[in-house]
This record gives sequence, structure tokens and C-alpha cells, in this order.
Amino acid sequence: MKNIKKYLLLSLISLGIISCSEDSIPVANDVTLEFNNTFGSETIILGDATSVEATVNTSTSGQAHYFSELKYVISNISLIDEDDNEFLYHVNDLDNGATVVNQAKTETLQFLLSDIPTANYTQIKFGLGVKTALNTLDEVSFPNFYAAAGANDTAMHWEWGTGYRFTKIEGFYGDDNAELSIHTGSTVEGEEGSYTQGVDAYREIILDLPVTANVGSASPKIVIKADFDALLSGQTNTIELGEGNAAPSIHHAGNMVLFVDNIGGNGDTDVTGMFSVESVQN
Amino acid sequence: MKKLVQILFFVFIFFSCDKEEYEPLVFENPEIDLIIPDNFPDLNNSFYGNIPTKYGVELGEKLFSEKRLSIDNTISCASCHIKTNVFSDHNKIAVGVEERLGIRNVPPIQNLAFLQFYNWDGNKLQLENQPLVPIITFEEMDSSILEVIGKIETYEEYLDLFYKAFGDKEITPDRIYKSIAQFEYTLISANSKYDKVMRNEGEVFTENEAKGYQVFKDKCATCHSTELFTDQSFRNIGFPVNPSTDEAGRARVTGLAEDAYRFRVPSLRNVEYTAPYGSFGQFATLKEVLDYLDNGVLESDNLDVILKENNNRIPLTEKEKENLIFFLKALSDNNFIN
Repeated sequence: MKNIKKYLLLSLISLGIISCSEDSIPVANDVTLEFNNTFGSETIILGDATSVEATVNTSTSGQAHYFSELKYVISNISLIDEDDNEFLYHVNDLDNGATVVNQAKTETLQFLLSDIPTANYTQIKFGLGVKTALNTLDEVSFPNFYAAAGANDTAMHWEWGTGYRFTKIEGFYGDDNAELSIHTGSTVEGEEGSYTQGVDAYREIILDLPVTANVGSASPKIVIKADFDALLSGQTNTIELGEGNAAPSIHHAGNMVLFVDNIGGNGDTDVTGMFSVESVQN
Repeated sequence: MKKLVQILFFVFIFFSCDKEEYEPLVFENPEIDLIIPDNFPDLNNSFYGNIPTKYGVELGEKLFSEKRLSIDNTISCASCHIKTNVFSDHNKIAVGVEERLGIRNVPPIQNLAFLQFYNWDGNKLQLENQPLVPIITFEEMDSSILEVIGKIETYEEYLDLFYKAFGDKEITPDRIYKSIAQFEYTLISANSKYDKVMRNEGEVFTENEAKGYQVFKDKCATCHSTELFTDQSFRNIGFPVNPSTDEAGRARVTGLAEDAYRFRVPSLRNVEYTAPYGSFGQFATLKEVLDYLDNGVLESDNLDVILKENNNRIPLTEKEKENLIFFLKALSDNNFIN
């Protein structure tokens, strides 16, 4: 017994020496994505109809509004390094590569990307929503994401469209605190690029990092700001909620694109939408 | 097409025999000999990728009546799609588990093999893509496909049917969807009095029916065209608007303002048995529908041009309405619902 202990100790020491003597940079490390959901510079506090604490925002057209619920799906993430190599992070695997950001659940505001190859990254890409090829509510292929998105307090299944809700925003607006309810998701049929009908609400976001994220010895954190001021006052559309412009309650494709283009960009001249990188912490 | 399929079938048998003489014959699942009415529109293309077979249909029919598809094992497809109501029901809007209400009237299931769009808004283009929707929708069955598979895979009779229909006992979502669609493809209604008159099988219209047929041709047949009695277009005909915030008609799918509150023109076959009428059961009787169209419909920017050109009305005398209803009842196919 004593001998065994000795051997164990010895091998432990030698292991230690080997690791120390190598003193190398690991081939991969983690990256944490953190989502800061704001109105302008202020992090959003959710509130119900009678809340006095909720963060209230005023749109360009003068409508006050605040949220009681704020959720969106992030998927199809990739990091681009200084040599223009793109590292795809489980882009075809929703169980490992997608998440529902839910302002009401602190733990969902961070998403850990593990095993990112050592490099200095200059750019991040991700999708707001789920790309069409994966947007089928396929419980067999992605049971974990299906369950997480479908949980009663998450409710991100868009059943009738057999896809996921990409965003789900509930709240209140205007002087009389009318209800605001904006859901987005895709209704397309057919193959990507040759849809036979419907609206594609998926948007790819491309953000330059203000400083490189140096993955290796360090496991950096990238803080992404999602400024929901853009929902009504975006680069693409200025929306006034109410009859005649945009219905305050959108649970379908009608008028949906107005909101989608504002928060996710129009996919053409605007590829950032409401998103920006607030900081990179190496 | 049928010929080709038959030939392929024989080829397959020969192959099977050549290859493995001592194995049980794999292909014991013949295609159903469906009678496709000559004058019906083309079949939906997805039909050819999922041609009904003897055991596929048997399995589909069993699943269609399977209450384990719902979270609490209380409702099946057949609970709302009741055969004697042309596979619809008499509720204004659909009722799911725990009496939860949907947003629309349950659509009848008939002649679906010939439709290019499914549901009131045409959001599905292939029948195989539809069965998952009621299974997972909160207001319908509120279950999940893995939950369903977990429940039915414990029954030997299901394993046996999956084996017979698909060649092995594996229960997959696709096989569930395909077999239900196969069953639905076989639900073809083309044996009404109208059909018999048109086929010169000895039946003749009564005087009222004949007059009603004339009214139909004059005032209804533009939209309710073809032998399906629908041109499968989407139209806003100014019916009372569903207050649900989930409703936008065809625009729910396309996002286009011009599609707001447009709905797929419904078939008039077996319309006698599918009351109430309208996308959320606005009208209790056929007479109410005709009265509404006669009195004038709701104005809107995208109101159907035929109505716009007629002062938002389809003018009908009381006599015309009466005769029209006689004709519509001649579209009833009693064999289909019994």
C-alpha cells in the first residue's frame, strides 16, 4: 500500500513537471458570449403592467414602451481570426450551437463556446433565429434545444409554422399602457434560395470586435449589446405601434419584417441590426 | 403513372425472388388501387413520393384514431376530424386538450391528394408536413413526437404495422407523418348525386337542383371552380373578421398586406355536413352564408375584385338561395361519410 502511494506520488510529480516544462499554449480554450439587452446604454429591467421599475424607452415617434418578456434565439455562430480563417461553432447542431437568450433568466445571458481553437479573433458572426435548413422542430435530431425552447416558461416553438420563434417580446406601450406582443419566425416553404412561399425571418449578424479576442492561454469574454431601441426606431424602419402602421400584436408574418429588419438588419446594407460588441475581455 | 408503378412493382418482386430466395418476401405491401376521378385536378406532387400502400394506410388510419397522440391521451385526429362530418366537426373553432380553443374552424379532410395548399392560409404545401402541427400545438394535442413514439412503441400491434408498412419495426417521425398522409390521400369523395348526373349514370337533377346549378354557374363557379369546387386561390370576401391576434389569413404566411384576411377558397363538396361555415365558424347555416353575401360584405382594400365590382355583394333572390342550397346538397357523397 505504501509503495502504491509512493508510485502515485511519483507519477503525480512527474506529470506536474511535464506540464510545467511544456509551458505551452493550449490548442483550444473557451469563449464566453455575454448578451447585454438594453435600451440605449441602460440594461433592460423587465416589468409587468403595474411595474414601476421596468426600463421605459421612448421611440423616435414618441411612444413610450417597456417589456415584460424578452427572448431571442442565437445560432449558427462562427469566429473569424486575423488570418480570415472562419471557425464554425456547431453550426448544424442546435443542441450544442444554439441558445435561447431570455432576459428573465440570468444564466441564459451567457453562452459558453467551448474548444475554440487558439487564435486571435477579429470578428464574430451569428444568426438571430434559426436558419431554414434546421428550422423544422426536429425533436429527434436536437432533443435538448427542442426541449429548452419549448419549455413552458420559454415558449419558443412556433407550432403552426413547424419552426422556432426567433424572438418573443411581450410588453406595454403608449399612454394607456396597451399590450405589445411581437413574435417573429420564418414561414418559408421549400429550399433555401428558392422558397416557394413565406417570409424568412432569419438574419445573419456580422460584428467586428473592437479588440481581438485572444483565445489560447486566455478564455476571453465577448460582451454583445442588443439595443432594443432599434425595435421601433431602427436603421430600416421607424415604427409607430397602432392601427394603420404596425399592429401592436404580431404573431404572424404580416408586418413582421418591419421588426425583423430593425433588430436583425435587412441582410443587405445592415448586417448588425440592434447588435454591437460592447467589449472583449481577454 | 399507374402503369409505371405497376411495372415497378413487378420488377421489384422479380428482383426480390432472384436475390434472396429463402428470405421472406419483403414486398408484401401493395399499393392501394385508388380510383382517381378523371376530371379532378392534378395530384399534389408529394403524393408520388408517398403513394398509399395497404399497410401504410392501415397504419395511418390507426394513428389517425390514436388518442395517445395527445398529451393526456384524450383526443386523436379523429376527435375533431369526424368521419360523419366529412372529417370536420360542428364547433365554430377547434377544441383541443383540456377544452383549449384554437383560432380557426376545423377543416374537412377530403380530396386532399388534389390540393396544392393545405389549411385555411395554405401554410403547408405537402400533406406530410402537417401531422406534426396538431401534435405539438398547445391548443390542440400539446404533445411532442418523441412523447408519441414513446407511447406507441410499447404496443406490438404498432411494431407489427410499422414492419409491414416500412420493412422494419423502427418508429420514426417521418413514418408517422407519411402513414397519416397516406390514409388521408385515400379519402377521395367523388360519388355525389352531382357526380352521377355528370357521369350519366341514370340520375337526374330535380327541378330545384337544376335551377340551383344554374345559379351556381352564374354566381359561384368563378371561385368554386373545377370538379373540386375550389380554384385553390386565396381571397378576401369580406366575412366578419376573426378578432384573434394570431389571425391574418394568408398574410400570416406571406407577410403581404394584400393577403390580409384572404383564405383558401373551400371546396363545396359535402358542404351540407360541414357547418358551421367560415374560417372561424361565423355562419351556422348555408342560408346564413348566402344571406350575408346577398346583404353585403365588409369593405376592405383587398376585397375580392368580383365583390368590389358588384357593390360588395353577391345579389341572390330568396328563390335562388333556396335552389342553390338544393344544388349544394346534391354535392353530398353519402358513401364517403358512412
